[in-house]
Amino acid sequence: MDRTETLLIADLCEGDETALAPLVERYKRMVYRLAVQITKNHADADDVMQETFIKVYRSIHTFRRDAAFETWLYRITVNEALNFVKRRERRRECTLETTVETEYEATARHHAQLANDPHTQAEKSELRQYVTEAVNSLSLKHRTVVILHEFEGLTHAEIASILNCSEGTVRSRLHHARKKLRTLLKPYVDAGVI
Amino acid sequence: MRSKCEKIERLVPDYIDRTLSERQAADVALHIRSCRSCKRAVADEKKTQHLLKNFYVEPEASDTYYAQFTTQLQKRIEQSAPTALHQRFAAATTRLGWELLTHVYRYADRFRPSRFISIRQHAVPYYVLAFVMTVLIATPLLLTQVSMHNNGEHTRFPSVGVQSAVTLAIQQDKTTTESAGIRRNMSSERTTETPTVGSGSDVWKFTNEPMVDGYILTTLHKNSSDTMPSVALDIDSELLAYAEFPSQGAIWVRRTSRDVLTEGRYALLLLRGINTGQQALQEYKRKRSELKGFSQKLLDVPLEMFSVAAVHDPIEL
Repeated sequence: MDRTETLLIADLCEGDETALAPLVERYKRMVYRLAVQITKNHADADDVMQETFIKVYRSIHTFRRDAAFETWLYRITVNEALNFVKRRERRRECTLETTVETEYEATARHHAQLANDPHTQAEKSELRQYVTEAVNSLSLKHRTVVILHEFEGLTHAEIASILNCSEGTVRSRLHHARKKLRTLLKPYVDAGVI
Repeated sequence: MRSKCEKIERLVPDYIDRTLSERQAADVALHIRSCRSCKRAVADEKKTQHLLKNFYVEPEASDTYYAQFTTQLQKRIEQSAPTALHQRFAAATTRLGWELLTHVYRYADRFRPSRFISIRQHAVPYYVLAFVMTVLIATPLLLTQVSMHNNGEHTRFPSVGVQSAVTLAIQQDKTTTESAGIRRNMSSERTTETPTVGSGSDVWKFTNEPMVDGYILTTLHKNSSDTMPSVALDIDSELLAYAEFPSQGAIWVRRTSRDVLTEGRYALLLLRGINTGQQALQEYKRKRSELKGFSQKLLDVPLEMFSVAAVHDPIEL
């Protein structure tokens, strides 16, 4: 945690609301990325983001200064997102197979179209879409650990701390998730696309 | 051999990530030299990880979205902070007064002879503005300063809040000598009396007795689908109820529940655990002192002063 961040957190603890904006600015992309990957929906991710930063604002005094703020924020975001998905599934308000194109999906397609080589553009685009869908098809628990480990680069211990479970559980979930991903991506692996 | 392969298979991802101990890594390396299937598993795992790292599309939103988000968040933080009851009452009164004056002015204007049009007519909006400003300043002062002396105790006059967003009512039976009028409604002795509160009831009644147990009847309403009620009644995750006790200050009650209370229905929150009002006050002060240095807005963040024993839907009672 750098000095600026430490000062911002201290200021926020002292009741200086203006200290929240720089923290939001610094972490908004991370929180959005994580929220949208767990909820798989832009609108839900927006709600999760709001709740996350509101919680940071209200509970900053409970943050232990010796811990990393980023890990604390990860914990809040992941928990908010998981709770949101669970609530959503309970109410059956929104299905995961929504046909409404979200900003997330639009962005995904945009990224998929960014291949430089014109000969392999369609192939790479398809591959990107397939890999992204493979990750999204994982169960909530498996997807969460894969996102945190593979894409956010967190260690098993950090993930265990965030999800409030043992390292063994994290390893086990990761193992099963990877196994499923290997199966899903097998056609591309066998075809030697890469 | 097969059990060995299964064991190695579990270690393959960490072997590729180079997070295994030297001994474990050496074990895996030795095994894959002699086992073709495990060697292939390592190669497949490497390719899978390569696919994930290079072809997975991480979501990203536009800068416009982030700008909008920051504005909305700022607005929500400003709105979510609970304000004092008299402030909300003053705001409601001002709005009501302004609407009333506008209608009166328009009505009177219909009967005004055209020959009376003069400079004074143009000054009417300024008169109205001056009157509203006076009301705005005077009302909170009157509300906070009007008091009554009762049993040697300085007691604040109960406020009557008119809120379109949330109707909150605390009722206490004045006719009985004890506050048992509330207790009768507790879950164990629920059969005798069920409180009836109409949709338009904005009733705040207090006795001078310390509140031992009680209930809050809440009607949940949203202004629109986009905005949450102004008194931070968060329907989704937690239920907040605001209660003001004579001479004991304002207290927030928070109940986190999995149950989602439907909009537009009454929720009966049975409160338990306030032994005496004085004790509640001390607890409130203690909580405040812990948060020393915080802004007033943060001080008003819901305090878990006492537990809510149960939530009942009065329709079921």
